[in-house]
Amino acid sequence: MQAETQSKTKYLQQYEKQMNMCIRCAYCFEQCPVIKEIQWDTDGARGKVIMSYGLLTGDLKPSQYIADKVFRCTFCRDCLDKCPSKVDILKIIENARAELVKAGFASETHKYIINNIKSTGNIYGDTEVIYQNQQGTVPLFVGCQYLGRPNKTKKYIKILQKLGIKPLVHEEICCGFPMDVLGFKEDYEKHKQEFKKKFPHDEAIAFCPTCTVFLNEGHDISTKHVLQVILEKLPKANLNMKVTYHDPCDFSRGLKIIEEPRKILEKLGVEIVEMKNIKENSRCCGGGGGILMTDQELSNDIAKKRIREALDTGVDTLVTSCPTCETTLKKAAQDIAEKEGKTISVRNIEDIIWLGLKNAETS
Amino acid sequence: MKVDVKKLIEIVGEENVRDNIADLYVYGSDASVHTKCPDVIVRPGSIKEVQKIMKFANANKIPVTPRGAGSGMSGQTVPLSGGIVLDMKKMNKIIQIRPEDVLCKVEPGVINDELNKALKSYGFFFPPTPSSGRICTIGGMIGTNASGNRSVKYGATRDAILGMKVVLANGDLVTLGSNTKVDSSGYQLAKLMVGSEGTLGVVVEATLQIAPLPKIRAMGIANFDTLEDAGNMISETIAKGITPSMLELMDNIAITAVNNAQGLNLPDVAAIVIFECNGMMKETVEYEIDQIKEICKNNNGAGIKVTDDEQEMKDIYSGRKKLFPSLSKYGEGLYTTALADDMAVPMSKIADTVQHIHSVAKKNGVVMSAYGHCGAGLIHTKILMDTSKKTQWQGAKNAVKEIYEYVHSIGGTTSGEHGIGFSKGPAFKLEKKDSLDMMRAIKKALDPNNILNPHKLMDSPDDWLTATPLRYQVTN
Repeated sequence: MQAETQSKTKYLQQYEKQMNMCIRCAYCFEQCPVIKEIQWDTDGARGKVIMSYGLLTGDLKPSQYIADKVFRCTFCRDCLDKCPSKVDILKIIENARAELVKAGFASETHKYIINNIKSTGNIYGDTEVIYQNQQGTVPLFVGCQYLGRPNKTKKYIKILQKLGIKPLVHEEICCGFPMDVLGFKEDYEKHKQEFKKKFPHDEAIAFCPTCTVFLNEGHDISTKHVLQVILEKLPKANLNMKVTYHDPCDFSRGLKIIEEPRKILEKLGVEIVEMKNIKENSRCCGGGGGILMTDQELSNDIAKKRIREALDTGVDTLVTSCPTCETTLKKAAQDIAEKEGKTISVRNIEDIIWLGLKNAETS
Repeated sequence: MKVDVKKLIEIVGEENVRDNIADLYVYGSDASVHTKCPDVIVRPGSIKEVQKIMKFANANKIPVTPRGAGSGMSGQTVPLSGGIVLDMKKMNKIIQIRPEDVLCKVEPGVINDELNKALKSYGFFFPPTPSSGRICTIGGMIGTNASGNRSVKYGATRDAILGMKVVLANGDLVTLGSNTKVDSSGYQLAKLMVGSEGTLGVVVEATLQIAPLPKIRAMGIANFDTLEDAGNMISETIAKGITPSMLELMDNIAITAVNNAQGLNLPDVAAIVIFECNGMMKETVEYEIDQIKEICKNNNGAGIKVTDDEQEMKDIYSGRKKLFPSLSKYGEGLYTTALADDMAVPMSKIADTVQHIHSVAKKNGVVMSAYGHCGAGLIHTKILMDTSKKTQWQGAKNAVKEIYEYVHSIGGTTSGEHGIGFSKGPAFKLEKKDSLDMMRAIKKALDPNNILNPHKLMDSPDDWLTATPLRYQVTN
């Protein structure tokens, strides 16, 4: 029975030790954005680890109910931060997802995204992507989020060039993170080979925090986020703005890129009025882990909490450095503005840097 | 057991009832080694809802297990007889903060740290400081009489309870205790509820005594080449009337674990003692710290360091704080289990007890680390073992038995702050054999149908190892 169960759970099997290390202390509850909204133990990090163990042992059979719970995670990394036993909770969840996908419980929306990546190389299914090809020396991975925002991409490339960084941009395909995090492991393994051919570099810079993490962890490509390379080259400016800053989870708890965005804003003459929960304690925007695709209401509720924190600072602009955070926080800000009349503008840091460079040129 | 879920939905609404096997599996587990599924989980949002649920459960003889964060280590919230798990976390309001009366009133689902955040703006805090404060609920703390690393100065939850509202097994609501620090008005029934682990009633509101936040704090650390010296230092400190706010011990296994896993450079000694003093005036704190320094020296303490710098205090405490993750990485294939997880002994016996723990562990083929709030006589242990092996579980069972036999023989008690549940049931029943009938009489009077968290404490099974499935896979 044990051998049979273990052959059926080839993904979770690798994490049996991690699941045994979990002492089920519930410390991961502390800032889990999902449990904060839903308030059932099952939906929090510990609940997912326990269900994963049940799937491993055969005490639980894969079901749509369990799949709904296991996919309800923003991958904000707060549980990793809080776990006293340092259990790799997100890897357990990721592999539980793989088991559920294998058992036929992938959502249609997720399948659609994965098929898009397989057929067109991007999450949109866009067959006519216009790549902002550049003959440079520093390989730049643009990523799907910025491929879908050509104006922002052009702006960011121009920023790099103005600062003396010569990006090398060419045709690329999705880093594959959605495949990995959504449990499509076999597809990811095949995609990895394709990715290597399309992006044959050992070092790179990237626009998207999630891509930056994944290029490092999933592809062994030594990758920096662009903010890390532009800080020293940025000239001073006098934008005379007052903003608050939202730390994306992949920055604050993933890459530990906490001070660089702040130093960039300060250099540009932007005063930061900090929210209550910042840096390593930054709260999730509700956009990660695939939740935006399947649980928009939950994602929006999480984002609205963050917008309320931003509104409490009294400033009129929230700046972030992640395209997913920008999307979810903009939507939440819009909803709050419509329903409550309280407004805050959400901007990505590249807009501020762009303004800063123009200001520096004219001063 | 068949539970009419529709009736429960009528009481609390569909969104507050779950009976899917995945939910039952999760709620059948806590931080203990046990697992047993309930039949349904219900989330009440008000006292009236709790009353209706209890009336229904009592009329149908359905067991009810109240639960907060489910962070208990002795199986308190594992529903041995199935039935209803009452998830109290939705009742999470801070009802009143009255600094003029040095009290606050809260619902049981309020998280300890959230309460302290609210009290801070008034210059107060709730004195029991469990390490799980960031997630544990006031209701859970009441259930186990939780304390923590400041228990040496501030005592436990029972010392900070003034009164409470409780829903009894039959659904009646009673108000116990008062709003005053001193109370000689008859039986202290509110105090009786503390530590009763949900077996006598469901706490639905608590009146807590709060304490002023100390303005000054200083910490120190000392190394000892023998457990005897460390133990003598601790008991001498208390015997001399000094009231440190923290007095923690880490044994050599804890030190080794932290050094190996975290790369810290703690000295390879028999024991480390960390001490803290706090208060309102720098002079009194400095006086106490100096006194403790002298006591350390008198007991061959070395590497003595004291500071009131926040960062340095953080560094001193970091070893103790990193103990848990370190134990998880102590040895390949060894997992941390909550067995013999706490006990309390007379302070003069701390060193002997720790030594005994080590020899029992060795004899039974398991690894045990001893650490804890020794200034209050409280010792924590964790058994590190290969949870897949039957022989290891038998070794752990023997070790648990022998340790508690020893603890009782020197005048100690089975639990200092984690409670009994049923993991510690056999040891508890042995310790309290003279008063078990008295406890059962109280239980019978308040819960004649025995629906409130049955088979715990004095009614717990004789063999914890076989009382439920273990939550680990035991394969050989």
